[in-house]
Amino acid sequence: MTANAPLLELRDVVPSFEETGLMPAPYNLRIMPGECAVIDCRDFERAAMFADLCSGMIGLTQGSIKFMGLDWSALHDRQLNALRGRIGRVSRNSSWLNLFGTHLNIMLPHLYHTTDPFDNVVLHATELGYRFGLPGLPTSAPDRLSGADLARAACVRAFMGRPDLLLLEDISDTLPEENILPFLEMMTTARDRGCGVLWFVRSAAAWHEYRKAVNIHMRLLDEGLFPMRVV
Amino acid sequence: MTDTPTHAPDHVAPQADPMAVPQPDHDGRLVHLLRRFAPWLAALGRLTRHQVRFALLVIGSGWGVLRESMRPNSWRRPVIYEFRATLRQVVSGGFLSIVITATLTGLMVVSQAAYWLGYAGMAQMTGSILVSVLVREISPILVGIIIMGRSGMLSLTEIGMMVLGGEVRALQARGIDPFLALVMPRTFAFTLGGFTLGMIFAVVSLLMGFVVAHSTGAITSSVWTFFFNVLGAMTTWDYLIIPLKFVLVGFFVGVGSCVSGLTVGSNDTMATIMPRGFARGIMLVLVVNILFMLDF
Repeated sequence: MTANAPLLELRDVVPSFEETGLMPAPYNLRIMPGECAVIDCRDFERAAMFADLCSGMIGLTQGSIKFMGLDWSALHDRQLNALRGRIGRVSRNSSWLNLFGTHLNIMLPHLYHTTDPFDNVVLHATELGYRFGLPGLPTSAPDRLSGADLARAACVRAFMGRPDLLLLEDISDTLPEENILPFLEMMTTARDRGCGVLWFVRSAAAWHEYRKAVNIHMRLLDEGLFPMRVV
Repeated sequence: MTDTPTHAPDHVAPQADPMAVPQPDHDGRLVHLLRRFAPWLAALGRLTRHQVRFALLVIGSGWGVLRESMRPNSWRRPVIYEFRATLRQVVSGGFLSIVITATLTGLMVVSQAAYWLGYAGMAQMTGSILVSVLVREISPILVGIIIMGRSGMLSLTEIGMMVLGGEVRALQARGIDPFLALVMPRTFAFTLGGFTLGMIFAVVSLLMGFVVAHSTGAITSSVWTFFFNVLGAMTTWDYLIIPLKFVLVGFFVGVGSCVSGLTVGSNDTMATIMPRGFARGIMLVLVVNILFMLDF
């Protein structure tokens, strides 16, 4: 990735309608390193689909998506997976494997993509857990955790391992009030080291406190992605 | 409008040519015939493609598993955890079933073989008969069926439910390849588990058969002599083929279960996934054994 190059760039992207249900309209978005883009979207499914689109998981009928200067469509499987390993993601649904304990779920991407010593990974995850109000790393299966603890664990997993891009789906309804500030602090720390943030929100209240630090505000509707003025 | 012209104009003359009439009729008949049989042909094609698709998927995935396993960076930590967890499940989950089935098989086959061969005055054939019937032919089939029932169906359901629930997609979104993280380690765990359980099955069935036959007086030699006779009846090929059968049965049950799980459609439910997986598993177990039977 060259200096001053966009971290994530969607240029006239038309996603496959059959695959996504997203309107086949051209989507344009450009996020520079350290920038934060807030995308208003009332539909969780559509937001998740757009996050998938940014992760190169959806076929395009037109346009290109580049992440860290690399076109998703030009990469092989191993390169795709390695690049996706640079993305931290908070998902609302279906992101937890009940085959493993929550601690392994949290550390799984990091253990898969890196060779960091296991103890260091555990230490890092535990520290992040403390920051988000967990008493440590939860070892029980994800389906045994409360919604609030799962939201905390989702934050820990997303911020693990210094990601280059954060795709944050809206979990403001499940994340406890006392964890909002650590969440915003972690986001700012990540942005300070050059991580871009794409934050999907359902209402203005979710990002009200962070409004001044947001660079891009857009709205994702049936008809496409529309820029809004950041106030 | 009512008068028919005596001489038709030049530009309509070709339409009235009687020689041009049979061609459209012939084409029409052909099209009609094709339309009549098209649904049958389509159904036949669909069925063939559907059946061949799974066979090709299993072959392709099996090759993919072998090829990927050769790369050192395929064996990442979550892959190793998955391998260990599945191996534990396959061996510990199937152990008791294998011991019970092996005991029952031993009671039936070994004691009956020893009794009837002794009755026919062919007691010296006991070893070779047991090797060829029990250890080489029956054991791999029973081991394959038990592995499939105890662990293969579990894998199939787990992976199928993960696909339907979106967890596999969530793994992909985090850059975790489901083939590397689920299919490859599970297939190798099934392979190793198949070999382990197969060996346990062979030993237990022979031993239990000996115990019963000895207690009824059908066999009078010691256990060491009995096993020595069995081993002596084995050819060099048997030493290769018997473990290979166990290994391949485990491998194909593993890869078949995982692939069936990964390829479930959005309309599938437990009621459709499990019977299909069971039928495919049985088919794979039998195919492996029949292939060996043809060649050796």
